[in-house]
Amino acid sequence: MKFIFAVLLVSMSSFSFAESIKVTVNGMVCSMCAQGIEKKFKKIDAVKDIKVDLDNKIVILETKDKQDIEDAVITKMITESGYNVSSIKRGANE
Amino acid sequence: MFKLLSLSFILFTLNVSAHPVIYRDGIVVSSFNMDNMNDQQLMYSVTEKFAAGLNSLRFSHDKKDTDLVFAKLNHLAYRYNGHDSQANIYLHSGIGLSDHRAKSQGAFMYGAEADWETRTLFLGLKHFQYYSPHQFDMPVTMARIGFSPFTASFDSLQSWFMIQAMHAPLADKTVSLTPMLRFFYKNVLWEMGASAKGGWMLNLMVHY
Repeated sequence: MKFIFAVLLVSMSSFSFAESIKVTVNGMVCSMCAQGIEKKFKKIDAVKDIKVDLDNKIVILETKDKQDIEDAVITKMITESGYNVSSIKRGANE
Repeated sequence: MFKLLSLSFILFTLNVSAHPVIYRDGIVVSSFNMDNMNDQQLMYSVTEKFAAGLNSLRFSHDKKDTDLVFAKLNHLAYRYNGHDSQANIYLHSGIGLSDHRAKSQGAFMYGAEADWETRTLFLGLKHFQYYSPHQFDMPVTMARIGFSPFTASFDSLQSWFMIQAMHAPLADKTVSLTPMLRFFYKNVLWEMGASAKGGWMLNLMVHY
């Protein structure tokens, strides 16, 4: 019973507290212009690392201590950088 | 006094051009230099739609310079963010001073520019009008086409081949066609070019 409870708890935590957030961004064609995305997210305490993949048009946010960042905050940062969010996905290794 | 202000502005800002509005709270410092004109800008993007700042220009004609200094407001009027491309329409306006044939007086400018780019293709067109009562009413039109032979990653050096056509009646070589190279690495862009008529171009832009 304790084992099942532990498994459930771990499963739920992976949904609630992402350590990797994959954001698909439209319009990201210029590496110089996309520097603004990196600059914006570096100001957020929860962000440990940020990777910008221009080939696949994605921004990967690694968070500290499995902290989450709300979709609204991510969308705001991307919009203020001049781009549009296409999708946001969470997962440990995504 | 006007020349002193202009000179101070040129000395204390690196020259600037292009990227009229960037990300919110971003600063663009740019310098656009050709044999017949110089264009320096310092712009602060108040939002992702509006940027305000200063612009200093010099047009050289028969060794007689026309100097202009403007307080500028740039507006991103439209942006298309596609999966593999981006297109923009910007509006420009400015009010300031001109120094033309040893006479200083008020001046203003307005204009628009549009561009479309992918990671390997670029098309751009801009038209500005510079006006000073009883002195000049000068259009400047510029078009660019460019391509990049390869796509670079986010932290790598990106290279472009471009050709710029410019029409500026107040400058020497009223019409110029300048093949050029554009490079950018992280937040720094630089361009260099030379025309068949002996003209040259050297540009620098930094985002902060």
